[in-house]
Amino acid sequence: MEFSDHIKTANVDDVVLRQPLHPPSRGTVCITGHHLLFSDRDEGSSRQVLLLLRNIDAIEKRISGSSGTITIKCKDLRVLHLDIPGMEQCLNIAHSIETLSCLDSVSEMYPFFYRPPDLSLHNQWGLSSPEKHYSQIKELHDKWRLSTVNSDYSLCPSYPPAVIVPKSTDDDLLKKVAKFRQGGRFPVLCYYHRKNGMVIMRSSQPLTGANRKRCREDEHLLQAMIDGSDKGYIIDTRSSQQAQQARLTGGGFESKSSYSHWKRLHRQMERGKALQESLIKLVEACGDESHNMDRWLSKLENSKWLSHVQTALSTAGLLAECVERDGHSVLVHGSEGTDSTLLISTLAQLIMDPCCRTLEGFLALLEREWVQAGHPFQQRCARSAYSHARLQQESPVFLLMLDCVWQVWRQFPLALGFSEALLLRLANEVYASNYGTFLCNSHQERCALGVTENTHCLFQALLRPMERDYYSNPLYEPTELAIWPSVHPQSLQLWRGFFLRWTEHTRLLEEAQEEIRNMVIEWGKLALSDALSMNT
Amino acid sequence: MPTVEGTLCLTGHHLILSSRQDNTEELWLLHSNIDSIEKRFVGSVGSIIVKCKDLRVIQLDIPGMEECLNIASSIEALSTLDSVSLMYPFFYRPMFEVIEDGWNSFLPEAAFKDLESMTDEWRLSEVNKDFSVCPSYPPLVAVPKDVDDDTLRKVATFRHSGRFPVLSYYHKKNGMVMMRASQPLTGTNGRRCKEDEKLINATLRPGKRGYIIDTRTINVAQQAKARGGGFESEANYPQWRRIHKALERSNVLQESLIKLVEACNDQSHSMDRWLSKLEASNWQTHVKEILTTACLAAQCIDREGASVLVHGTEGTDSTLQVTSLAQIILDPACRTIRGFQGLVEREWLQAGHPFQQRCAQSAYSNSKPRQEAPVFLLFLDCVWQILRQFPCSFEFSESFLVLLFEHAYASQFGTFLGNSTAERAKLSLPEKTVSLWSWVNRPQELERLTNPLYEANSLVIWPSVAPQSLLLWEGVFLRWNRSSKCLDEAYEEMVHIIEYNKELQNKVNTLRRQLAQLETEDPLLQTP
Repeated sequence: MEFSDHIKTANVDDVVLRQPLHPPSRGTVCITGHHLLFSDRDEGSSRQVLLLLRNIDAIEKRISGSSGTITIKCKDLRVLHLDIPGMEQCLNIAHSIETLSCLDSVSEMYPFFYRPPDLSLHNQWGLSSPEKHYSQIKELHDKWRLSTVNSDYSLCPSYPPAVIVPKSTDDDLLKKVAKFRQGGRFPVLCYYHRKNGMVIMRSSQPLTGANRKRCREDEHLLQAMIDGSDKGYIIDTRSSQQAQQARLTGGGFESKSSYSHWKRLHRQMERGKALQESLIKLVEACGDESHNMDRWLSKLENSKWLSHVQTALSTAGLLAECVERDGHSVLVHGSEGTDSTLLISTLAQLIMDPCCRTLEGFLALLEREWVQAGHPFQQRCARSAYSHARLQQESPVFLLMLDCVWQVWRQFPLALGFSEALLLRLANEVYASNYGTFLCNSHQERCALGVTENTHCLFQALLRPMERDYYSNPLYEPTELAIWPSVHPQSLQLWRGFFLRWTEHTRLLEEAQEEIRNMVIEWGKLALSDALSMNT
Repeated sequence: MPTVEGTLCLTGHHLILSSRQDNTEELWLLHSNIDSIEKRFVGSVGSIIVKCKDLRVIQLDIPGMEECLNIASSIEALSTLDSVSLMYPFFYRPMFEVIEDGWNSFLPEAAFKDLESMTDEWRLSEVNKDFSVCPSYPPLVAVPKDVDDDTLRKVATFRHSGRFPVLSYYHKKNGMVMMRASQPLTGTNGRRCKEDEKLINATLRPGKRGYIIDTRTINVAQQAKARGGGFESEANYPQWRRIHKALERSNVLQESLIKLVEACNDQSHSMDRWLSKLEASNWQTHVKEILTTACLAAQCIDREGASVLVHGTEGTDSTLQVTSLAQIILDPACRTIRGFQGLVEREWLQAGHPFQQRCAQSAYSNSKPRQEAPVFLLFLDCVWQILRQFPCSFEFSESFLVLLFEHAYASQFGTFLGNSTAERAKLSLPEKTVSLWSWVNRPQELERLTNPLYEANSLVIWPSVAPQSLLLWEGVFLRWNRSSKCLDEAYEEMVHIIEYNKELQNKVNTLRRQLAQLETEDPLLQTP
């Protein structure tokens, strides 16, 4: 089926666009296979809005008389109203948006069609890979190796072809361990702490089941990981009760008797549907127009979003503490090892490792810990807070991670090399993008569709000079120290820049930040010309 | 905060802790800053927990039970001295050179000169020069030119505590005015006072209506009649439209502050608990209501082009919050450091806000609250909200607001002593104490208080009052619980960048000028 089959009316004139912060404007709406384009007729104050249809989360139609209004609610939380003359045209437009905004086929998505003149498909794709990661950390080479046991994705469909594992474990052993872990996600290295040689590994839950099945190879692999040290920690992102219950469905946890050198710590982190519902409630609260302080604060509390932020940050803090302060290696997992596991391993690395705090380092971290580690982006980000459709696998885990990073950024304004603008951009891109980076659910799926050959890489694009300037933190002063965020409820704030972005409240703050940015750029130029004038 | 070991010393006005190491800072705490203390004993070591009015909490571990008890009883006695003339400002001698005596910086005569340059419809009346007409007013007040002093005397008897309507603000853009007063004493019989009607009608343009903003709900205003108070009825004030708002009174605000501070100090790690406690304190609601009312007053003046009279019951608390915030919104001059001092001086000190009563105790006090209320702190909180929303429109930074909060509760300066100009005159404060403004208006201090992002903005600024846009003022309420080191560093870095930027720009300008000069001097260099 062609896109054009879904477009009965491609152009409508005399449409009025209403949007907070802007005066209404009258112009033409045009629907293409991937975009909704609104352009102003006024030549003087021309205004154009180009919206990826993929960005549209829900639409509402209201017909009155011979005209209609379509309310468009986007995944980036923006809300637009289009007043369209002519009932039929209005219904046609609405129908096209509804169909085209939730096409299922990945290969028909916009990243496969996006061809900007300044990017070439032959450019390097991505910033990091397990191979590169391994080769960069020379200290690892003694005791760790790069295994290509998963090169055909047969062991673990959600892992990349290469992974880092202890040298003393051969591929046959890994094959057995993979059978003992949910989804085949056997323990792999994700972080090496240079200061004391301790590591973070991540996996999924062991399949002990109700009979307390054991797997010698799994135990051996874990033992090899703490080689020489007296003990290691396992951080399980479920409560101990949840972990017990998981045994009934074939899952489980590492028992004390079989893993005697390991100390298990349970921290309950919310996942899946509960997290999505929390986001929906929060966004609803942010849009509340009742002007009632009590109502706002109770809705904010009821949404539980800030509690999730707090739990994520404090669990990541615990993980970092085990590694940095306690000097022990840690294995992290929950059930599937594709969500909360990645959330806390990412945040812990940000806390401990200065390399992850540069613009490039942070993007590489996201690439390793989310894209390559198999976070199912397509399932998790299919819909956002406004959608009326029944929830399937949607869950804003990545968004929660960005929120936590923002909290760290707010508490340590000098320590991160990137700005809030980057976090906002990523929060948009993950739901609807011109780039292929967040397409699909795993490395395998991306490979099958030829994502790296047929789309452009977001991370590379963000490092182009202009963009790099824009997304850098002008106040950045690298520090070698670990940055420990405060997780007191009083220290955590709503991420207004994201959640209240399209309402009046944040506009002036953005202007102030813009002002600081300009000043720093100006400063750079002046310092340069100053230096030149001194030389001559 | 790190633990410090040292020697404790009590003087008549200070608690001093000096560490045994050299070169380290000493802690000097004014006794008047201490809100309450608690004693604890473990064996022979006693602990005194000192809770301050600026919300800081300090624990002193003192070896020896008797010594500890002695220290505690001294602090208790010295921190609750009632006599104003024994307060520290009367003993403090400035260690700095006074460039400009703050006691003379903001005299009503000077403010009136500015007014005269804009309009000739007002005069400065001396009717209250011996404070007999209204004890809480200054000797000089601005009133409509056509209203004589005898009329004013009659109006004063018709208004609570003699606070007859006076000019608070003149909006240059359209000539509209804001006045403030206390409630009219209509009582249950609906008493009227022709002079009062004449006075406020004198501020209206022909055919124009004005607005009366009553900071009480209609119910509260009705009930006030039973106690001799009341409001301006439609029948007697047909040219005025009355709008009632619900701003809370003193005791409610004090309780709200106590609850808020308790919530901020809650050590439990529960997000739900924190948010419920924050909500239950109602503090943010008060902030929102006050800001909303101030916006309403500003809207009547700027957008409706109408004059406004603001009052509640006594006209010394919520009334001043509204009139002063409306000026921040409307008048760019109030957003400069000096202009803001002038505003505090005019609308709070001279207007008779009873600082001594309101700020006698703060959130930690165990004694029964009397007249205490964080009315001024709420005003500062509201200014902070506007400043946060318009980070480039204020010449001063947050630290100026924090400074005013601290000095309102405990200070070496005499500015916030007493409850009115009359009391201050009786105490001879201008002669015997130093003004806070003398200290603030010195280059080094001004530099510290300046907002590096300031770009004069001549427009009216309308803050958003949606609950989502109002934040807890961390700089005051979480100041001692969070480490602000990283935030301070970032701020300093920003200031540094801005300074350097200015310096370089100056250099560039000098070079350009030199180049231009060379070009004119040397015709060979001139470009064809």
